[in-house]
Amino acid sequence: MLGGAFHAAVLFLVSAGLQLVFGVQKILNLACGSFYALGAYLGVSAVTWALGAGLPAPLFVVVLIAAGLALAVIGPVVERILRTIYDRDESFQLLLTFALVLMFEDVIRFVWGTAPHQLGNVYLVYGQLRIAGSTVPVYNLVVIAAGALIALGMGWLLTRTRFGRIVRATAENREMSEALGVDMHSVYARVFTLGVALGTVGGALVIPATAATSEMGIELIVEAFAVVVIGGLGSMRGAFVGALIVGLLKAGAIAIWPEVEMLAVYVVVVAVLVLRPTGLFARAAA
Amino acid sequence: MIARALGAIAVVALLAAPVVIPRYHVTLLLPAFAYGIGLLGLNLLFGTTGLLSFGHALFVALGAYTAAALTTHFHILHLETLLIGAALVAGVVAVPVGLLCVRYVKIYFGMLTLAFGMLFYSFLYKFYTLTGGDEGIRVLRPRLLGQAFAGLDKVEFLIGPFYYYALAVLAMATLLMHRIVRSPFGLGLRAIRENPDKAAYVGVAVRRYRFYAFVIAAVFGAVGGALLAVPTGLADPLLAYWTHSGNLVFMLLLGGFDHFLGPLVGALVFILLQDTVMSLTTYWRFVFGAILAVIVIFFPRGLLGLLAWRREPTA
Amino acid sequence: MTLLEAVDVRKFYGTFCALDGVSLTIAAGQFVSIIGPNGAGKTTLVNVLTGLLAPTSGRVRFKGDEVAGIGPVRLARLGMARSFQLVNVFPGLTVGETLAVPVLARRRRGGRLLASLARDRETWSDVAEIAALFGLGDRLERPARTLPQGDKKLLDVASAFALRPEVVLMDEPTSGVSTADKHAIMQTLVQAAARMGVQAIIQVEHDMDIVFGYSDRIVALHQGRVLADATPDAVRADERLIDTVLGRSYLAR
Repeated sequence: MLGGAFHAAVLFLVSAGLQLVFGVQKILNLACGSFYALGAYLGVSAVTWALGAGLPAPLFVVVLIAAGLALAVIGPVVERILRTIYDRDESFQLLLTFALVLMFEDVIRFVWGTAPHQLGNVYLVYGQLRIAGSTVPVYNLVVIAAGALIALGMGWLLTRTRFGRIVRATAENREMSEALGVDMHSVYARVFTLGVALGTVGGALVIPATAATSEMGIELIVEAFAVVVIGGLGSMRGAFVGALIVGLLKAGAIAIWPEVEMLAVYVVVVAVLVLRPTGLFARAAA
Repeated sequence: MIARALGAIAVVALLAAPVVIPRYHVTLLLPAFAYGIGLLGLNLLFGTTGLLSFGHALFVALGAYTAAALTTHFHILHLETLLIGAALVAGVVAVPVGLLCVRYVKIYFGMLTLAFGMLFYSFLYKFYTLTGGDEGIRVLRPRLLGQAFAGLDKVEFLIGPFYYYALAVLAMATLLMHRIVRSPFGLGLRAIRENPDKAAYVGVAVRRYRFYAFVIAAVFGAVGGALLAVPTGLADPLLAYWTHSGNLVFMLLLGGFDHFLGPLVGALVFILLQDTVMSLTTYWRFVFGAILAVIVIFFPRGLLGLLAWRREPTA
Repeated sequence: MTLLEAVDVRKFYGTFCALDGVSLTIAAGQFVSIIGPNGAGKTTLVNVLTGLLAPTSGRVRFKGDEVAGIGPVRLARLGMARSFQLVNVFPGLTVGETLAVPVLARRRRGGRLLASLARDRETWSDVAEIAALFGLGDRLERPARTLPQGDKKLLDVASAFALRPEVVLMDEPTSGVSTADKHAIMQTLVQAAARMGVQAIIQVEHDMDIVFGYSDRIVALHQGRVLADATPDAVRADERLIDTVLGRSYLAR
């Protein structure tokens, strides 16, 4: 179950990024999986280099997060590309993000090759705990805690800061915000970058538990998409709850009936889309 | 007039290809034909009715697996039976899936179709006793109109009798789809695409028509899928993966979704382009992604849109 | 003969009452205008009458059948059509195609998958006839989005009429049209209606010139209730009514 929570925490990060971008810019960014993968690969490289250069092991998590954050610089660039088709039909926007997925896949392949990259056991430097009969790496708990913290942080950002208010207003009513003098380009660029950062940091943080593989991005988008549907498009709370549900469902399925792992998730997705298409926490209507 | 002339040249070229072009390139045309049929169906949904499905690969895979199961498990080798079987299975599956999906539009429709596609993929992948898992199911060489062509080796079979058979099926599929698009039903679909609310007000049963379009698209997709699996001899789960659906849409956009022949042009160009690019670099996905991006941003009407052949522009 | 009737219709949106016991009867041969200030409930009433919205309570009957909430498609089949205030066209379809859709629906040929549309002479001759009645006969091949605004309006109404409905409900048919064109459009509408066997016309209209010029009957709505249901002369004579519904400024004219 805790494995489920760990997975959920990472999923939440990526999904939060997706939700943010969708809520404000109404674009479902298929490339968020690519950002996740980029974060993972760079995370591995960065930590490997840092440890080799003498970094004390317990600080590796800082390097991971830094790697994730550093990648956020691609945010404005990608946003600029997407900006060219904001006013077009959503199908085209979806296709453009799909084009980005293809391109990023090969960028990763170019830089890091096709073999999986691993970090080894450096995360065990934090030790392990015995909880409820199973051994859990403390690192996982750290990530879960980080996920929860970031969730709270996002909540605070969106409700208590000026930026957050602008973001929510723009999500509700774009024309009105524009008429009130909000600089759309700047808001979009920042929101998108934040979304990217959430994805890359999420990817970086998951690295100790899994290897960075060439399919991880594409596989993740499929799960992130499930989270977003279950939770409701555009809702941060939905991302949180959805991630929790998907994470636990997967963990439960693996424990009980491995065959149906993703199948179970998809059945739930279809069920939600049919019974309550706007998700559990309906916000942005489509 | 130019259109007619070019069309005639294309037909002659296709008929002469096995004799004139190197074998390798002829075998490339085979998936192009199959995809052409599948895309005709997808375009009925997208170009004509305005619904973008990100799960069309589900039906392509379904067709392939039906053909595979029929040949491998039931020893049925007549290609006609395989194609009809694929069409029937797709039609049956498309009924509940379609009934659910057409209740939603735009992004929800896209998401729901993607979800169904992935559902099928996970089913194919995990239930390996039934589906062969990631190894898939083999497709044995079928008989064409009862003939086994036992004397021909695999390549000779493919670039000879099978090539013309596939071309004939493509021609029939094209004529059939042309009929459908130019029918009163087709006009109703276009009205739905242009303005679904108004269409309802002038008496078009919007949801029902979308449902019919969905089922027809599924059938075309499956027939294409069955034909696709014969040359490779294999039906495998990746056929249902969402990126395969994405590629299908890519092909459609490449050819031009608002022209009737767009799907065929798109399939052909994509296959040839893929082959060329793949032989030039391992990073063909990057190139394709870039091409797709360029198309979406600058040439959304695709190749045929550039050539400005269409009669009625889309909204 | 009563074609359309609303019996004690109420519509609540949560606690907000949009319609508070509206009763109305429309008979054949009538041209009825529904007037009232914004927020009076006109659009809600029209949505209820055309089966788009189910009332919270009360009944709506068309030719004796209950039609509350049946939806636009079935309503069209039953013989009632509607046009909208904001121009509603099929941008990418030609004028001819736009009219062919309702004609096919009426002839129950809309669902034919394999028949050739181009060869359906009866449909196309119907289309030509209707187009001619609305002055669009020379532009059948033009895409609807290239028409000037007034012609788009006519096309929109023409497509409603193409269903050969018995009752037509028009939501501000002359809105967005220049004053010079308004009367031309109304004349076209009325003549077309007569030629096509439309038996009753209901319009929601703000322009009082149009209302007084063409109506047999005026229904004034105010805050969800029918304030008056009388002939134009009677309404004109009722100053208090005019004041409430139209405001002092009208009286000052």
